[in-house]
Amino acid sequence: MSWRHIWAIARKEVRHIVRDRSTLILVLFTPTALLLLMAYALTVDIKHVPIAVLDYDRSATSRAFIQQITAGEDLELYAQASSMAEIEAMLMQGEIKAALVIDPNFARDLLGMRGMPMQVIIDGTEPGSGGFAVDHIAWRAEEFANQSLTNQIQAMGFSLESLQPLDLRVRTWYNPGLKSRNDLIPGLISMVLGMPALSVALALAHEREHGTLEQLMATPIGRAELLLGKMIPYIIVGLLNVIMLPAFAMAWFHVPFNGNFPLFFALSAIFLFAMLSMGIIIGVFMRTQAAALALSFLLIFYPGFFLTGIFFPIASMPEAMRMEALGLPGTHYAIITRGIFLPGIGLDILWPYAVMMAVLGLAYTGVAALFFRKKLG
Amino acid sequence: MTTRPTNPMPAIVAHDLTKRFGDFTAVDGINFEVRRGEIFGFLGPNGSGKTTTIRMMLGLLAPTTGSVEVLGMTVDGDTAKIRPRVGYMSQRFSLYNDLTVLQNLRFYGAAYGLNNAELEIRIREALDMAGLEGRENARTKDLSGGWRQRLALSAAILHRPETIFLDEPTAGVDPISRRAFWDLLYKLVAEGVTVFVTTHYMDEAEHCHRLAFIQRGRIIAYGSPAEIKERMMRGQVLELAPSNAAKAVKTLRAAQQAGRIPLEEIELYGSLVHVVAPQVKKHQRAIRAELQKAGIHAGQMSLIEPSLEDVFIACMKH
Repeated sequence: MSWRHIWAIARKEVRHIVRDRSTLILVLFTPTALLLLMAYALTVDIKHVPIAVLDYDRSATSRAFIQQITAGEDLELYAQASSMAEIEAMLMQGEIKAALVIDPNFARDLLGMRGMPMQVIIDGTEPGSGGFAVDHIAWRAEEFANQSLTNQIQAMGFSLESLQPLDLRVRTWYNPGLKSRNDLIPGLISMVLGMPALSVALALAHEREHGTLEQLMATPIGRAELLLGKMIPYIIVGLLNVIMLPAFAMAWFHVPFNGNFPLFFALSAIFLFAMLSMGIIIGVFMRTQAAALALSFLLIFYPGFFLTGIFFPIASMPEAMRMEALGLPGTHYAIITRGIFLPGIGLDILWPYAVMMAVLGLAYTGVAALFFRKKLG
Repeated sequence: MTTRPTNPMPAIVAHDLTKRFGDFTAVDGINFEVRRGEIFGFLGPNGSGKTTTIRMMLGLLAPTTGSVEVLGMTVDGDTAKIRPRVGYMSQRFSLYNDLTVLQNLRFYGAAYGLNNAELEIRIREALDMAGLEGRENARTKDLSGGWRQRLALSAAILHRPETIFLDEPTAGVDPISRRAFWDLLYKLVAEGVTVFVTTHYMDEAEHCHRLAFIQRGRIIAYGSPAEIKERMMRGQVLELAPSNAAKAVKTLRAAQQAGRIPLEEIELYGSLVHVVAPQVKKHQRAIRAELQKAGIHAGQMSLIEPSLEDVFIACMKH
C-alpha cells in the first residue's frame, strides 16, 4: 500500500470534481437540496381533514358538539349532510375522509349520562387520514363529555375537588411538541448523506466506460490503492455535508441538536466509509454509468427509504427484511442521528451501532477489492 | 533500416500463448520473441487477437494456457515488479478529457511513483518531445487527434519504461500526424527502448524491424519485412497502369478463372493493378492481349518489389 499512489488517485479525482462546476455543485449541495424537498414533502403533521356531519338530533347540545369538533385545525367541517346517501356520495367523490352521524337521542342520552350515541364512518382506502379523523373525533368527544359531566356535577352542587377522577397524564419526552419534523429530519439526514455513494459508483463506472480504467490497471497502482484513492474525495465531500446538514436543519427547520457534535462527526465518518464501500461495489460490478445509477437506486436509495426504519419501524418488519435492514449502514446510522439530535445520547449507548457500521464498511470494501480483479476479462 | 547490436536477452517471449473466452479462441497457441531495442509490429485485421495478446503481456488478462515473459520475468499474478518497467498506450484514447495536458502528465507520473523533482524534468522532456510546449494548460479534449496520440505516448513513457506496448496507436489519425508519431518511436528506439506495436496500416508495418502477422488468433507470418516477403511471397509482382484499372482487374480475374492465364493474385492498387505469379514476366504478352480484347489499354508494365500489403493479402488468402 503506497500513499503516493493513493494520493495520486485522490488528487486526480478531486480535479475531476472541481474542474466541472456543475459536478461540484451537484456533489456538494444535492444532500441539502434533497433534505429540503423531502422534509416538506414528507411532513406528517396532518391538518384540515375534511369531514361531514349528519345531525339527526338537531339540539343545542349536538350543535355545540359539532362546533367543538371542528374548532381546531385538525378537522374541517366540509358539509352538513341531510341523509346517509349524501354522505356516501361525498365519500365516493373523495370530498371527505370521514363522516360523523349523530343519533336522534344524542342530547338526551348525554345529559342523562347514558352515553353519547353517534357513529363515525371513515374512508378505508385512506386509513391514514381516516384513522386520524377517528382519533381526533374521539378525543374531542371525550373532552365534550367531560365538560358536560363537570357542568352537571357543579349544577348538582358538588365541588370538583371532591371528585378524584382517573388522572392519566401523557408526557412526551425529547420532542415536547411532538413535531414530526424534529424526528423526521435527523432520519432524513441519515438518508441523504448516502448520496456520495452514488457519486463514487458513477465515477468508477465512468473510468470503465471510457477505457481509462484499463490504462490505470496497467500502472503499478494496486487495486486497493485505486479504490481507497477514489473514496477519499467523496469522504471529504460527505464530511462537509455532515457539517452543512445539521447546520441547515437547525437554521431552517429549527430542529434542536442536543447531542455532542464531535461524536456525531466521527460516527458520520464511519457511516460514510460504509456507504462509499457499497458505492464502490456497485462501481466494480457495473460496466456503464447508466447501469451503476440503476443499481444505486435499487441497493442504496430504495432500501434507504423503506428498510432503515426512518418511516417504517424495523420491529414490525418480517424476519427476512429485518436481517436485510441490519446489513444496511443506514439502519444503524438512522438510530445514531435520531439519538444524537433529540435525546442527545452518547457513545455509551450508540457504540454497538458504530461497530456495526465499521464492520459493514470493512466487509463491503473486502468484497469490492476481491471482485475488482486487476483483470479485464 | 540498419541492424543494431541487440541485447542477447529478449524483451518479450511468448510460449504457446492461448486465450479462450468460452468456446471462442481469441489467441491460439502463439509463439514469438521480441528482441531488445527493436520495433516489433503485430499486424492483423480487427478481431484477430492483437489486443488480447497485449493484455496478456501486461498481466491484465490471464492466459488460458501457455505463458509470456516480459523483461525476463514471467507475467502472472504478481506484476508489481514488471509494471514500473513497462509502458502501455491502450487502444482507446485513455487520458482524462476533462483534465489539462499538465494534469494528465502529473497524474501518470505520480501513478508510476515519480517524485515531484523528477516529474517536472520528465514532463519538460515529454512536452518537448511531443511538441506540446505552450499547450500545457489546454484541456485534453480540445486537442486534435494527432496531438492527443502524442500526449498519450508521452504519458506512457514518462517513467522511462524499457518496453512499451502500443495498441493501434495511430488508428484514425491523419497521415502527417502518423508520420510524426513514428518519428517519436524511432527516437525512443534510438534510446534503447523496445517497442511492441499493433497496427493494421501496412505502410507502418514496413517501418518495423520485425513483424508477426496474426489472423484468427494464429501467427501466419513472422520475421523481418524482408524475410517475410522472401518467405511468404510465391512469385513476383507485376505492376500495371491500365486505362481502366477496375475493369482490368475484372477482365484478368475472368481470364484467371477460365484458366487462360495462370496468375496467383490480381489486386487493385488505386489506379494501378498488381498481378502476382511465379515468373510473371512470361505472362506479359497474354495479359496485354486479354486486356486489348476488353478494350483496355494495358499501359506500362514493370516488375516491382512486393510490398508488405501484397504479402499480407497473399498470406490471408492461403
